[in-house]
Amino acid sequence: MSTALYPLASLEQIEKTPSREDGIPYELEEDLRAHGCKLIHEAGILLKQKQVAVATAQILFQRFWYVTSMKQFGIGDIGMGALYLASKLEECPVRMRDLINVYDLLQQRTAHTRATMIASASAPSSSSHPTKEFRYTPMSYFGSTFYDLREALVIAEMQVLKRLGFNVHVVLPYGTLVNYLRVLGLTDRTDVCTRAWGYLNDALQTPVYALYAVPTIVCAAILLTVRHLGIALPSAPENRWWELFDAEWEDLWSVCGYIMRLYRDRSIEDRTRVMGMLSKKGVRQWLDEHKTVDPQT
Amino acid sequence: MSHAGPSTPSRKRSRWDVDESAPQSEPAQQPQKRRSKGKSAKLSPAPEQTEPPVQPVNGTSGSAERARSSHSIFVPPRTHHPPLQPSRSVYCYERLNSIEEGSYGVVFRARDKQTGDIVALKKLKLDEEKNGFPITALREINSLMVCKHENVVGIREVVVGDTLTQVFIVMDFIEHDLKTLLTIMPQPFLQSEIKTLMLQLLSAVAHCHEKWILHRDLKTSNLLMNNRGTIKVADFGLARRYGDPVGVGGLTQLVVTLWYRAPEILLGAKEYSTAVDMWSVGCIFAELLLKEPLFQAKGEIELLSMIFKLLGPPTAHSWPDYQTLPLAKTINLPPPHPPQLRQKFPYITAAGIDLLSRLLTYDPEDRISATQALKHPYFSESPLPKHPDLFSSFPSAAAGERRRKPYESPPAPARAADYKLLTDFDS
Repeated sequence: MSTALYPLASLEQIEKTPSREDGIPYELEEDLRAHGCKLIHEAGILLKQKQVAVATAQILFQRFWYVTSMKQFGIGDIGMGALYLASKLEECPVRMRDLINVYDLLQQRTAHTRATMIASASAPSSSSHPTKEFRYTPMSYFGSTFYDLREALVIAEMQVLKRLGFNVHVVLPYGTLVNYLRVLGLTDRTDVCTRAWGYLNDALQTPVYALYAVPTIVCAAILLTVRHLGIALPSAPENRWWELFDAEWEDLWSVCGYIMRLYRDRSIEDRTRVMGMLSKKGVRQWLDEHKTVDPQT
Repeated sequence: MSHAGPSTPSRKRSRWDVDESAPQSEPAQQPQKRRSKGKSAKLSPAPEQTEPPVQPVNGTSGSAERARSSHSIFVPPRTHHPPLQPSRSVYCYERLNSIEEGSYGVVFRARDKQTGDIVALKKLKLDEEKNGFPITALREINSLMVCKHENVVGIREVVVGDTLTQVFIVMDFIEHDLKTLLTIMPQPFLQSEIKTLMLQLLSAVAHCHEKWILHRDLKTSNLLMNNRGTIKVADFGLARRYGDPVGVGGLTQLVVTLWYRAPEILLGAKEYSTAVDMWSVGCIFAELLLKEPLFQAKGEIELLSMIFKLLGPPTAHSWPDYQTLPLAKTINLPPPHPPQLRQKFPYITAAGIDLLSRLLTYDPEDRISATQALKHPYFSESPLPKHPDLFSSFPSAAAGERRRKPYESPPAPARAADYKLLTDFDS
């Protein structure tokens, strides 16, 4: 494993992300980031892609939105580009056509779910409208849909590279987790390992990998785990276990916050709003409809 | 669309300021150095070294201070990580002259408009890419970024042109390549000079291997040399990461320039490792001694027979896995005979022959590693390696400088060293 320093967002980039500068509220950006990462994750599963490539793609995706606004590029396209790029970086390239088909399916399914949710919300007597099964309509082999998506994929991959200055060095947290659990004597507890590993994977849907060093994120996953399972670790001021791993309490707490926010319930409005904004077109339409809200405040 | 400008000028300018101000950039360099030291400390059997600030345990009052100073060198503070920086435009550089055209890119010499630094810009060929950004170019950029070392050509940044098909790798400009030098210099390198060059090459290769990178195209034309006796490994166009499980089909055999290609690749091995680079290092060592390439074969079969002739054909003892290689069945081995290394290199010491034969060892498992080779007695016996500052300098063909005609006597006293004046006068 290489130890070269991976890039993290600067304070200035964190304080005003390009999307927020364009008037996208903080919470909406957070939800869109998470949704884009879920798409990458689902596409990875459908493609039977290795988790290292999927995780790398999600981290690149999160970094990207610290240098680019969602008004300029859609989370669908950039997610697709990031997964394509990460697959090459991890030496397990995918076929363009496979990736495009998978993303097309996911987008059709999202549109269908959204339509169903809106319909059932507007007509509470859902018994009159039995929900329609989702039916995937494959694109034609030489149709314009394919060529348009391929064009978008090539552009997205190039934009990710260009806007990250070609520094696509990513360090994944799994090895560090194993080490730390070993130091803490927790490797025998399967429930601890599974849960902490799960938090690390869920954290891939949050921006934390673009914000904090890996040891901090791993400590946060362990902290959440031991709190949920009621395991006591040394926490007295003179020997705090996380200080052994060079993590600061404030950072740990912040990462835990990012992860826990993933699990809160979203209203139907919130969920359908995100599903309608996979493309930059959707984002721009939303911004036009909400112009009255002054982005400067 | 008003905001759409990807340039966001304010950010660019501020970053540019950071680049320029020396005191700012220095602390950014430091963690890298400390890291690399930390890495070696990790491998050495003395890990206690990694925590130098051992605070007195009895001083309980200083717990707040301790929290500040106890950062492990393996976990540098967050501020040491580089920020996310978009690529700059190629127009930050002024084009001077083109140096060479390789198989998949053109190299230009250029000047950084702000700092005045002379750099080499390698333009990647992306026009006819069917599969997006080529994976080979990704490997090259990544390898260069990961393998930063005194003896590896430094990558400064990657810049882009007007369209998405124009991408340039910005590297330090180095005056010579070893291949051209070997052909133009009237005398071969001295033993003391060869030792210095080999030590530099080996430490670069050891560094790349430690970072899990195989170069896969080591040869004299890919070794650049400046006028201060330092060589830099360049052209990571065939490099790739190793160590991960390899997918179906294995690694490609279409690597390494023929003359420097290891026998296991020639015989179709689907998995190979750091030893392929070490074979190339052996060929380079021999080339430095001979002042010409060791195996100047026209094809793979001829190369194999040249190798067999010099080293004797492989035996069950010298290469136990030979028969399991895909192409071994198709090769007719010549009758066994002892190695001819001593006859080919009559003037080198026994230690020198020993190092060469350990580099040119058939069995990849048995071939010497870069780290082991650095400790070889050849480098500690007389004559000792020459200090790089004592190397002579040469006019650089890549910089468009003209070579002094051979046998031309120095024109006037006092000015003899200033060849630049001389060439100006010539033209």
